[in-house]
Amino acid sequence: MKKGQLSGDGFSLAVLLAPFFGLWLLFWLAPLLLGFDLSLQHSDWTSGRVDLDPTASDSRYIGLSNYQRVVADPKFYKAIRNSSLYVLGTVLMILPLAFVLALSLRGLRRMPRGILLFCLMIPGLAMPGVLSTLFYLFFHGRTGALNHYLIIPLGLKPINWMMDPSFILPSMVLQSVWRWTGMVTLFFLCGMESVPKWQLETARLEGAGAWLKIRSIWIPSICNLALFAAIFLVVDGFASFSGAYVLLGGSGGILDSGLLFVTYVYQVAFPGGSGRFDFPAAAAMSLLVAPVLALLLFLTLRLRKFLSWV
Amino acid sequence: MNRFSRWLVVLVGVVLCLYPFLWMFLSSFKTNREIYQPTLLFPDSYDWGAYASLFGGEYLSFFTSFANSLALSCGQAFLATLVSVGAGFALAKFRLRWAGSAFFLAVLLVVLPKQTLAVSMFEWLSLFGWHGSLWSLILPGAVTGLGVIFFLQLFRNLPDEWLEIAKIEGLSPLRSFQLLLPLAFPGLVTFFLLHFVLSWQEHLLPLLVLNEESMTLPLTLAKLRDASHRIPESVSMAAATLSLLPVMVMFAVCFRLMRSALREVTHS
Repeated sequence: MKKGQLSGDGFSLAVLLAPFFGLWLLFWLAPLLLGFDLSLQHSDWTSGRVDLDPTASDSRYIGLSNYQRVVADPKFYKAIRNSSLYVLGTVLMILPLAFVLALSLRGLRRMPRGILLFCLMIPGLAMPGVLSTLFYLFFHGRTGALNHYLIIPLGLKPINWMMDPSFILPSMVLQSVWRWTGMVTLFFLCGMESVPKWQLETARLEGAGAWLKIRSIWIPSICNLALFAAIFLVVDGFASFSGAYVLLGGSGGILDSGLLFVTYVYQVAFPGGSGRFDFPAAAAMSLLVAPVLALLLFLTLRLRKFLSWV
Repeated sequence: MNRFSRWLVVLVGVVLCLYPFLWMFLSSFKTNREIYQPTLLFPDSYDWGAYASLFGGEYLSFFTSFANSLALSCGQAFLATLVSVGAGFALAKFRLRWAGSAFFLAVLLVVLPKQTLAVSMFEWLSLFGWHGSLWSLILPGAVTGLGVIFFLQLFRNLPDEWLEIAKIEGLSPLRSFQLLLPLAFPGLVTFFLLHFVLSWQEHLLPLLVLNEESMTLPLTLAKLRDASHRIPESVSMAAATLSLLPVMVMFAVCFRLMRSALREVTHS
């Protein structure tokens, strides 16, 4: 990594960096700390069920017992497990698929290349809720497209994608693959197009075969991008809410088999009907997941250093 | 891969991505009975009633939520671009001792999805009493780790000679930033569009913060789905089509610019 060129005077540095760090403090660190404070309080307090009597303030902070409550909650594990599987499934399917698509697109002439790439990106531009609606109406069900064009011709029994507990999560993964593959393809293709001409010329002169070219030119050209895409997909996958919310109406689906992490946090904090508004537990859940995600991202970035080292 | 398999792979992908949306558009003219037969593509007759009832505000004030969404996404994307381009430039081109660690800390925390912090964000915004106002979504959305990474990468690939010339000319760093900005124009547009889409699709925070009078499109669309036993499916299909339209037009117009900017950024 090359060091920067400018030795900055304090004023210009402040002008350039202050907006970012100011907003970061106000809308990131502050809510995070507030969430931590929240997670230590008794839920009766935060939902205003206890009259605010200052003499009883020692019963307000209850230490880590919200965390204990969350850790003992089997539904929490279910949500984490589902979210992890969801993220893993999307990353493992999207990256190879996008690579193959980008490689194929690169072989086409420029005109059709641009148009077809744009068509591939359309699901990424649509709202996840719309994708869910389409998935529900178009792909799902006995008469849906997935069963009609894929499952029945293969001689299998039609699958009820939204009602069968073992297919809810896979169908959510498919939906995410459908959504993001085009966008990732765009990035991969741009990475491939920025490979300098002389490299390809050299490969041609050396008489390199297709596999050797893939290994020594195409994969290195998208290596950093793939990492970037993986990070984005992990973050987005853990944060995904809208698609599942529209698809399952805010519930976790049958047997909670489609319960994602953010959906569960939402359920705990803002129950429909007359539940308790358990903000502290929801905050505790978020704070339990945050370090895990941070560690995951850190390891991914380490992996990059490791790869460039090898 | 030979020519044939290339075309096959791409065309299968394109059909999978295009056909459902074509179906969606044509379904906005269909009756419920026709929509529940997903393998049917064309409607019997083209009835624009769904669009008319959407713009007439028959079910929900669709027009208001459309305008809200537009204002929210434009504001968020504009502010995010502005904030990130400065930070990215400073981290790429200044000699800073603590830049590495500051950058890492900021990005690590920002890359953590804000949806997972939704509850504390909700509480925090309640302290300000900002519920129902679009500002409560625009400002938190403007701080983005991806933006800083994007612009850091962009400026790193811009040749340093420009800065050296500026230095010899005796310009202040701020002034040289100003002069370099036009060179980054494609990158600015690209990031604006990418952030626009992300905030256009944002669902959870608006759901928590906004109220009935100031809904955004994802909320309205979810409402239309929820009430689909009363509202014809064609209305929600029409709303979905309209919600896709502005983003598609923006991307189509700027697509060439975007691709050239991404080629710059991805060049390693």
